[in-house]
Amino acid sequence: MSAPTSPDARRIWAAAKGPVLVGLVILVSSIILVLVSSPSEGGSLDPRSVTQPGSRALAKLLEGQGVTVEYTETAPSSVDGATLLVTRPDLIDPARLSPLIASARDAVLVQPQRWLPDGIGVADRARVDDLPPGCVLAARFGRATMGGATYAAADGESCYESSLVHKGNVIVLGTGAPMTNDKLDEVGNAALMMTLLGRNDRLVWWVPAVADPGREQSVFDLLPDGWKFGGVQLVVAVALFALWRARRLGPVVTERLPVVVRAAETVEGRARLYRRTRATGHAAATLRRAALDRMTPALGLPHDAPPAAVATEVAARGSRSADQVLSLLYGPQPADDRALVRLADELDVLENEVCGG
Amino acid sequence: MALTGRAGLLALLGVLVVGTVLPSWTGVLGVGALVVLCVLIDLALAGGVRGLELSRSGAVKVRLGESVGVELTVRNPGPRWVRGVLRDAWSPSAGVVSDRFSVDVPAGASRKISVALQPVRRGDRRAYRVTVRSLGPLGVAARQGAHDVPWTVRALPPFHSRKHLPPLLDRLRELDGRRAALVRGQGTEFDSLREYVIGDDVRSIDWRATARSSDVMVRTWRPERDRHVLIVLDTARTAAGRVAGELGGLPRLDTALDSALLLSALALHAGDRVDLIAYSHVVRASVPRADLPSLVSAMAPLEAELVEFDARGMVAEVLRRSRQRSLVVLLTGLDSAALEEGLVPVLPALTSRHRLLVASVTDPAVTAMARGRGDAEAVFGAAAAERTLSERRHAKALLTRHGVEVVDAEPDALPPALADRYLTLKAAGKL
Repeated sequence: MSAPTSPDARRIWAAAKGPVLVGLVILVSSIILVLVSSPSEGGSLDPRSVTQPGSRALAKLLEGQGVTVEYTETAPSSVDGATLLVTRPDLIDPARLSPLIASARDAVLVQPQRWLPDGIGVADRARVDDLPPGCVLAARFGRATMGGATYAAADGESCYESSLVHKGNVIVLGTGAPMTNDKLDEVGNAALMMTLLGRNDRLVWWVPAVADPGREQSVFDLLPDGWKFGGVQLVVAVALFALWRARRLGPVVTERLPVVVRAAETVEGRARLYRRTRATGHAAATLRRAALDRMTPALGLPHDAPPAAVATEVAARGSRSADQVLSLLYGPQPADDRALVRLADELDVLENEVCGG
Repeated sequence: MALTGRAGLLALLGVLVVGTVLPSWTGVLGVGALVVLCVLIDLALAGGVRGLELSRSGAVKVRLGESVGVELTVRNPGPRWVRGVLRDAWSPSAGVVSDRFSVDVPAGASRKISVALQPVRRGDRRAYRVTVRSLGPLGVAARQGAHDVPWTVRALPPFHSRKHLPPLLDRLRELDGRRAALVRGQGTEFDSLREYVIGDDVRSIDWRATARSSDVMVRTWRPERDRHVLIVLDTARTAAGRVAGELGGLPRLDTALDSALLLSALALHAGDRVDLIAYSHVVRASVPRADLPSLVSAMAPLEAELVEFDARGMVAEVLRRSRQRSLVVLLTGLDSAALEEGLVPVLPALTSRHRLLVASVTDPAVTAMARGRGDAEAVFGAAAAERTLSERRHAKALLTRHGVEVVDAEPDALPPALADRYLTLKAAGKL
């Protein structure tokens, strides 16, 4: 009487085929997208970037001068005897930055806030503009696009209205503007930067990545173990609840339903067509014909009775004169919607007089 | 297999254990292992579903709108108790009141489940499959499996118009001479001679017979018997149109079925032979020498199709089937264009051999639209409706000119109107 039905491999494949194919398409297209798309354009002060805030022009110039430019996103292993340029020093743990700066022959920091050489502090912010050197160190470069952050230096040399501070082997810049492709060719920017960064044969250009590993502890690390593993167990529990709810008692049953349409739909469609094309004349003719078809049997006339005969008969029974009836039943077409509505009402009245009376 | 909420609850309790006592991967794995163990125990000890023997019995027919029960017997030949949930899935329009049942069948025993159905649509309503979920002793996991237990309940047309039958039968009896009022009409058959009783029509006195006997004799008449009525149902596209009416409107086909049933019931009472054909572009159903149950059963699964009605094929089919002169009742739509192209050219072949009666459903919505007044939208609607109505009148006139009887009425009125026309034809001896 009954036969067990459990899905076999073929039916499982038939059911899973669609989702699997969709998944494959998404996977392949995303791989192709990743392969085809060019490497990122890089951010500001990136020596590979040719955009306006990038610094490819400066890097090329330095390489032309025989300086080896080493680009890095993570902490460089060794900076001995090299110039270290850090474009965003605030992204790096000061404790890790200190030994690297100490071991470098020269270090250039762009707008540092967290790590500063001893005796130098953050003072204020200034507009980035063409500023005069104002110190011996930079006197030969002339004006340069500086500004940004200003620093208060107890000792050391302070230039460009305190936006460039030199102390020991560290040079602090208040802005990276003079290094950008955009501003490099203006005033003395190129000379200033070439000199600052080209003092050694090797330049380590460190653009710290935002997600520099080991920078900080994640929230997860700070949680006590009980919460952490409790959370894992909770995920397991939720997964089990989901499995419980997801398992159905057999699939949803479908069935073919017969075609059923409203029979009056074509009539309504025709009415809308009349309306849209403003076929008042056509509608009026139809209404008049219908009224005549109903009235002529009551008048004892044939369907194709001449207008004059109909008008005389109707006038004899109703309150209107033969001329009025003639113009109502056979007269000109109504000009607009309002005239049509009026005509329909008058036809009703006439019909009532003839058939009802 | 299937998990229950208890598996999730167990894992949820595990959160407390892991969070307070064993905050490590060991704890997570330990709780996981416990859950898996419980699941395995349950799966191993749950009663087998695959081995269950299911069978059905009970009703195979129900009149649409009425409720009926189908029995499902679950026999458990396996060694273990089967306890859990059962779902008896039917197609949605079978109108199963509740398809979930709890089952509790000891090893070797069998249990009966009664499934109540109230179909919402005419036709064959099929059982889809029975799914059983058999819980293990811990209630953490269950074995689940499905069985095909085929069964079909045929939802028959409701035959709403049977309420019109008694008065019609009264009229038939009057015709038949079983009532005091003996109607003598053209085309009726001579039945017998009997003695005159007061109240008989004096015009029916047979003087020649009176002269031969000692009493005044009258002739009695009865209407023609053993005539052939062939009902042709149009199941093509126009039959799919839903016409406004009670119960939110029914397709034209359903009204046609109702009318055909009333007519058949009446004709069978009158001693006529009734055949039925459902035709679209092919013969969809055919019941020769029908009685009422076979008609109802044959009508149940009929549905309208989206094809054009093939009038030529229908006429050929009718001519092939009935050599004797018959009353052919065609239940179709009065669509002017379709009639002129389809039916009218082939009419002479049919009307020369048989008497044709065309019955059609008027849509009350169109009649209501034709009375629309007040604003431009309503008046344009009225014009469109008048246009449709005049096309109908034209089609009717065209058919009447060809010697075809036409019955055109709203859904509720069509069955009695058609039966009335049949009685009129019968009384006039035009069958």
